[in-house]
Amino acid sequence: MKTIILGVGNPILSDDGVGIHVANQLKQHIHDPDVVIDEALTGGMNLLDLLLGYDKAIIIDAVKIDNGKDGEVKRIPLNSFSTMHSCNPHDVSLIEAIQMAEKLGETKIPKEIIVIGIMMKKLPCEFGENLSEKIAKAVPNAVEMTLNEIRKDN
Amino acid sequence: MANAYLQIPELRGFERFSQGRRAEDMPQITSRICGVCPVAHHFAATKALDAAFNVEPTSAAKKLRELMYCGYIIYDHILHFYYLGGPDFVVGPDAPPAKRNILGVIEKAGLEIGKEVIKHRAYGQKITGILGGKATHPVCGLPGGVSKGLNKDEVKDIEKMGKSCVEFAKFSLKLFDDIVLKNKDYLDLILSDPYTLKTYNMGLVDKNNKVNFYDGKIRVTDQKGKEHVKFDGNDYYKIVGEHVEEWSYIKFTYLKDIGWKGFKDGKDSGIYRVGPLGRLNAAEGMATPLADKEYKRFYETLGGKAVNSTLAFHWARLIELLYATEKTMELIKDPEITSTKIRNPVGEPGEGIGVVEAARGTLIHHYKLDKNGLIDKANLIVATTNNAGAINMSVRDAAKGIIKKGKVNDGLLNMVEMAFRAYDPCFACATHTLPGGMPLEVNVYDNNRKLYKTIRRNI
Repeated sequence: MKTIILGVGNPILSDDGVGIHVANQLKQHIHDPDVVIDEALTGGMNLLDLLLGYDKAIIIDAVKIDNGKDGEVKRIPLNSFSTMHSCNPHDVSLIEAIQMAEKLGETKIPKEIIVIGIMMKKLPCEFGENLSEKIAKAVPNAVEMTLNEIRKDN
Repeated sequence: MANAYLQIPELRGFERFSQGRRAEDMPQITSRICGVCPVAHHFAATKALDAAFNVEPTSAAKKLRELMYCGYIIYDHILHFYYLGGPDFVVGPDAPPAKRNILGVIEKAGLEIGKEVIKHRAYGQKITGILGGKATHPVCGLPGGVSKGLNKDEVKDIEKMGKSCVEFAKFSLKLFDDIVLKNKDYLDLILSDPYTLKTYNMGLVDKNNKVNFYDGKIRVTDQKGKEHVKFDGNDYYKIVGEHVEEWSYIKFTYLKDIGWKGFKDGKDSGIYRVGPLGRLNAAEGMATPLADKEYKRFYETLGGKAVNSTLAFHWARLIELLYATEKTMELIKDPEITSTKIRNPVGEPGEGIGVVEAARGTLIHHYKLDKNGLIDKANLIVATTNNAGAINMSVRDAAKGIIKKGKVNDGLLNMVEMAFRAYDPCFACATHTLPGGMPLEVNVYDNNRKLYKTIRRNI
């Protein structure tokens, strides 16, 4: 089974890049040739392009919440997100991109897509390469949760 | 209804972030500012470095950069028309949001067209990827040139894809013609008051005053399409001022000689527009034959120069798509495109300004380097900042058009969204962050400034 682990985020927008921090740490733990670890600063269509051809995809990303705890890590199957139009003014959401690809007969979409989400109430608006204290503490949890996800399949 | 304001999050602290970094890293760093236009930032930065290191790129390097830029315009404009702006027209402005998306477009236009859309958007990305190393994060731009040339096989590949893209651009214009221009209701909507704004227009032009994405002088025309001023990117700060409003982090740019007169259009207000419509209005034509023919038809159909209809951005975008595909073919057939003379040696570090046309408008990078080639000061003016004043007015006018006698309904979201979507703005938000719905909140206040109603989505 081929798996891709994708850290998603902006590496120069502090907490927004938490997914990439997690992906970098995972590289030290995973040496399985069937598991690819990569990073992406993109959404929707481009994100889907990166996932095609794998059996399973694990996306590590920041998740915006209204209530709850900053830095909490959750495992969320992608299809439990719902969305209407687009993920930013110039792209479609990943879910929309997948629906579109399915409709057009794309056969390389991963059968399972899991999000390892790091919760945050406020998204950063200031440039920086370091994570805040609360979010940095979430990184080991997210690493562990992703490793469990891989172990489960073996 | 008295007024409307568009508030958007603005990223801060870029100057401090870049201080002390190696200047050569800026094309890579700035391409990460925004997940939407990495290629535009990459080349604005590279051009600013050409100037700051006092070096002129080789002729072949300029052509390679421009070719890559065409690939970017191809995928960016296709994405916008078919996935974002198009649904408003193809499916219809009154359709429920759940239908107003690419799936709705495919339902109406057919599966085969959907496949063509995917294919040609991917071609644009492949062309960019071949030249830039990675489509989403190019690594090729260096002061004085590029790091990688093209071999014969790559030329063949790009030529094949480019040819197909020309046909697809022609098809897209025909689709626009059939679905939008032949529908009187849509044409009326395009020409209606809430979607009309008589501002100045701005864009890069070549020496013949034709639209150019990669290089040239900045030209500003007035509400009737007459040249107001034409200037070198280095003089940007003499021509353009920045106005601050207490309710927004965004600085609103305006023409200094006319002045800031508030959110008003017309000859006496310094607000201008950039992006596809701004560029077409600021030029006197397109530099390739098919696109130039469309350019003429555009003005004949919409009542001469300048076209001030916000929704005409969509048509202008398709004309630019056709130009980018034709230009791809012109550049790929140029014998110099396989030249190995792709870089000139750099001079002493100093100061430099780089200007390109991002898909959504004029983009400017300005760096001051210290004697070791490290960044001392960095300033960026992004396309959406240039459009901020106009976007704000378009949102206000769309809201005015629909809020009558205090009645507010969910249709407001559609009309407001259509108004700002035409500009294809790239709001500085965390563009990817899940759950992936573009957050939109409309707050309506009564005449005592009391909150009357809030309509929200994805917040």
